[in-house]
Amino acid sequence: MTDTIANDPQRAAIEELLPFYANGRISAADKAKVETALAGDPELAMRLEIIREDMAETTLLNESLGAPSPRALDRLMAQIEAEPRQVPLLMRARGGALTWLGQLLAAQPPRRLAYASVAALALVAIQGAALTGFALRGGAGGGFQTASVPGTQASERYVLLSFKADAKAGDIAAFFKRYDASVVDGPRANGAFKVRVGDASLTPAQVDAIAARMKAEGEIVGFVAPAP
Amino acid sequence: MHTETDDDLVKRIASGDRLAMKVLFSRHQVRVYRFALRLVRDETMAEDVISDVFMDLWRQADRFEARASVATWLLAITRNKAYSLLRKRREAGLDDDFAESIEDEADDPEIVLQKQDKGLAIRACLDKLSVEHREVIDLVYYHESSVEEAARIVGIPENTVKTRLFHARKKLGELLKTAGIDRGWP
Repeated sequence: MTDTIANDPQRAAIEELLPFYANGRISAADKAKVETALAGDPELAMRLEIIREDMAETTLLNESLGAPSPRALDRLMAQIEAEPRQVPLLMRARGGALTWLGQLLAAQPPRRLAYASVAALALVAIQGAALTGFALRGGAGGGFQTASVPGTQASERYVLLSFKADAKAGDIAAFFKRYDASVVDGPRANGAFKVRVGDASLTPAQVDAIAARMKAEGEIVGFVAPAP
Repeated sequence: MHTETDDDLVKRIASGDRLAMKVLFSRHQVRVYRFALRLVRDETMAEDVISDVFMDLWRQADRFEARASVATWLLAITRNKAYSLLRKRREAGLDDDFAESIEDEADDPEIVLQKQDKGLAIRACLDKLSVEHREVIDLVYYHESSVEEAARIVGIPENTVKTRLFHARKKLGELLKTAGIDRGWP
């Protein structure tokens, strides 16, 4: 039998909208177009009836599939507990230490903030007295040291990592984007890269956590460890 | 009563809120499970897909962009995970045995028709559609996706969603016709 709707582009375009008319996910303009066409086209109206019948059976079929076992949530939560949690740490790093501090302070009740302020003022006063005493006692002949002598902190945080031989370029690019990371050195003789993962506001524990998270991406990453 | 939106829950999840994760899981687990199960056709695998999907959500919640709904986002991840599992199964050479077991399980539409139940025959034919046709039918007929959402989930242009759905409907009609049910189209 010839499909007269398929052979008429205008009717065919309306026909393709019928499933969305039936599920209610159609724009007001398209809905009006469909309703106008349906009013004068019994063949289109018959197609709509078929769609509604199939929709009802598809719903019954899906509803018969039941639900996941209650264990699914337990298993997920166990996986989450075992997962090192880096996202908030990265958010802190991105927002900066002051943003993090601001959020922390904003979350405290006023009375606690008042006590904390008094304690902080007392601490400043004690430190001031101690420093004054130190300057008076040891000021002469004490010399000075520049800020760059041993013991200073690097301004960036790095990891050393190598990629799996079969890792795809697109996946590697997405990996760097995900961690907001960039290569600063490499590849070295062993194929490893030195990668910047954040600035100095990240603590060693946070860098460890980022490295652990990277390590979990076993399809891309071969080796990863925090680097000085 | 104030009900937190999915977007609000995702924001809380991004800051490490486990309770928000439980709420969002409870809200969407059935939808995700059924979509996965219709694609992979194995309950254990479908549960594995759920775990993977919600772990992805846990890890990537801070990257969620509210351009799409959370449900659409979850179904798109579900589809990717399900297809990845199907690919692994195919590569491991397990697919032929699996397809045979599915054939055994599903009632043949003609046999169903002999039992005089048109609805059952339609459902049997829905099960016989290809995975590409099944997913687009499920998305529009059961998950009530719009053209835009289905396009985003499947990763194809909107016009392709419409034509693929048309061909899926036509195939369904042909299967029913073969089983002895002529609805006048195709």
